[in-house]
Amino acid sequence: MSELRQIAIYGKGGIGKSTTTQNLTAGLVEHGKKVMVVGCDPKADSTRLLLGGLAQKTVLDTIREEGEDIELDRILKEGYGGTKCVESGGPEPGVGCAGRGIITSINMLENLGAYTDDLDYVFYDVLGDVVCGGFAMPIREGKAKEIYIVASGEMMALYAANNISKGIRRYAKTGGVRLGGIICNSRNVDRELDLLRAFSKELGTKLLYFVPRDNVVQHAEINKKTVIEYRPDSNQAQEYRNLAQAVIENKDFVIPTPMTQERLEEILMEYGMMELADDYKI
Amino acid sequence: MAKILDKQRYKCALGAMQTVQAIERALPILHSGPGCAQKLSDTNGSSGYFSPNIFPCTSINEKDVVFGGVKKLDSTIENALKVVDADLYVVLTGCIPEIVGDDTGEVVSRYADNDKPVVYAPTAGFKGNNYKGHEQVVNAIIDQYLEPSDKKQKGLVNIWADVPYQDLFWLGNIRELENLVREIGLTPNTIFGYKRGIDNINKIPEAEFNLLVSPWVGLSTVKKLEKKFGTPYLHLKTLPVGATETSKFLREVGKFAGVDEFTVERVIKEHEDYYYYLIERYADLFLENRVINKQFTVVADAQYTLGITKFLVNDLGLVPAKQFIVDDTPANQREAIAEEFKKLNYGIEAEVSFETDGFKIHDEIRNHDYHGYPLVLGGYYEKDVTEELKGNFLNISWPVQDKVVFDRAYAGYTGGIRLIEDIYTVAVQRFN
Repeated sequence: MSELRQIAIYGKGGIGKSTTTQNLTAGLVEHGKKVMVVGCDPKADSTRLLLGGLAQKTVLDTIREEGEDIELDRILKEGYGGTKCVESGGPEPGVGCAGRGIITSINMLENLGAYTDDLDYVFYDVLGDVVCGGFAMPIREGKAKEIYIVASGEMMALYAANNISKGIRRYAKTGGVRLGGIICNSRNVDRELDLLRAFSKELGTKLLYFVPRDNVVQHAEINKKTVIEYRPDSNQAQEYRNLAQAVIENKDFVIPTPMTQERLEEILMEYGMMELADDYKI
Repeated sequence: MAKILDKQRYKCALGAMQTVQAIERALPILHSGPGCAQKLSDTNGSSGYFSPNIFPCTSINEKDVVFGGVKKLDSTIENALKVVDADLYVVLTGCIPEIVGDDTGEVVSRYADNDKPVVYAPTAGFKGNNYKGHEQVVNAIIDQYLEPSDKKQKGLVNIWADVPYQDLFWLGNIRELENLVREIGLTPNTIFGYKRGIDNINKIPEAEFNLLVSPWVGLSTVKKLEKKFGTPYLHLKTLPVGATETSKFLREVGKFAGVDEFTVERVIKEHEDYYYYLIERYADLFLENRVINKQFTVVADAQYTLGITKFLVNDLGLVPAKQFIVDDTPANQREAIAEEFKKLNYGIEAEVSFETDGFKIHDEIRNHDYHGYPLVLGGYYEKDVTEELKGNFLNISWPVQDKVVFDRAYAGYTGGIRLIEDIYTVAVQRFN
């Protein structure tokens, strides 16, 4: 049995982290891997496609209603292809401390023995911006050692990716966390591939995979399924299988070299984004 | 780089629960972790209408951190109102709810129509120490409870001084200040201690002026009162101890209040005559006895370091070594306070250091040449170092652990006499 790989997925809000993570998970399942997905977002929508809906009761909801003396099967559900699915959940919007909530839930998963020996992969799908220490929990204390950032050729996605890299660099010094690469979830913007390659290079990492844009992803989401389950024969399903293969084979793990705001904007200028914004016509 | 702070002389802002405790029939309600009150409580003379530390408390835990503690706070306030009969309820927040972002103000505002006032003071430890917390509590009462009044009472003076319980002599001192102000024909109004409480709080807006007797604590309060009620204020930085400063105090208050000079001077003469009569009786002791020290050091908060330094130089004729202020005085107040140490009689100036680290203070005391054994007035922490130097020690500032104080005071003419008694009681024991 291979060693457990714990992977955290970060990226700007709305970039497609959850969609990518779940489709990637489905791809890994097809490769015969045992995977657990831990949603670390108060919205609790990280396992919807694997479970076929938001049927899951979150860890924090369970703690709130039933206390801490609970069994693992109350919070861990089995989804597509035998994946184990957990949602951390969080407080109601505007109250409490969601960051602490994630720390509490991950500690609870450990205490309840969710990290079983048969697992090959654990994915942490983390809320868009790492706003406080709580959202860095998956990469602290030696949990996820591997991080992928989901980005696209849009300016704000790259700003966020650069920012997240600063957090990774901080924890890389004390723990063993490393950046495994950038996953592009394409938005079909001009010169996106070139831009993402240049950006990744500047960060000291690589563009792990370029996932093209395809409407089948939206169709699958409406049907509460991953693309691999919904349209196994589609091109997009194959793309996710390839992404899974790239993750399996990846051996390049680095401490990122985040860039200054000025340098980031230079790169954006170089690939025409800034100018394009000025020329934008309806 | 983080370092160890040795012998800290204050508590965190939540320590202001003692300020609430000093208001008769006022009750602190704590929105904090379960250990805060126990750690911050000081049982020296704070039992009474309610316990010194068993306050209603939300005792928040991890669950409240994640989901927010406002529901628990709401039920804690609701039940405190049911089971504890008080005139004023003051909700105090600790660090946790302030970090998590609990909207304590909103919860407290639900009790706006309650028969008895409920106010809220943010006293998270990271906001500062209990000197700042004390200001937060008083300011919260002014902001959230008091309303401007058309009625102004001629001669009514609100007196604000240092922090109850942090200053073990607080009750005696404030009463002495009241007496002095009363003797020149004004009507003092204070809110702490026996038979003051809510009735006196209600009178705050009616005052003709506010009198702040403190180097810096309470300055934000009198400024707030000026803004909210248009009440002018007189800020006297020095706690008057002994004849020199007390007479000066009476003249300044009298002048500000428009009291005729004749009245003020009559009161001063009466007190000074008696004061110097007492001192004369012991003149031989002072002149012939060689036990008193040549130089002294005070290690205390700004109030006592300034007040006692002035007294020992001006009234007792001692020479100041370096003086230490340990209350973490706000940086923007330090210069003006240090300036006061240059206004001593006989052209003497005292060097003063704003230092919170006991280790550094003791190091300086050890390395100073006191031209004989030192006289050290400070916290209990200074006992050992003074004994090591074979000096005379008097415990006058927090922590005070070698005496029980009911209503003794060092303020005023009488306070000066008490301080001389205390110092010489230590000194004469030396060879007895």
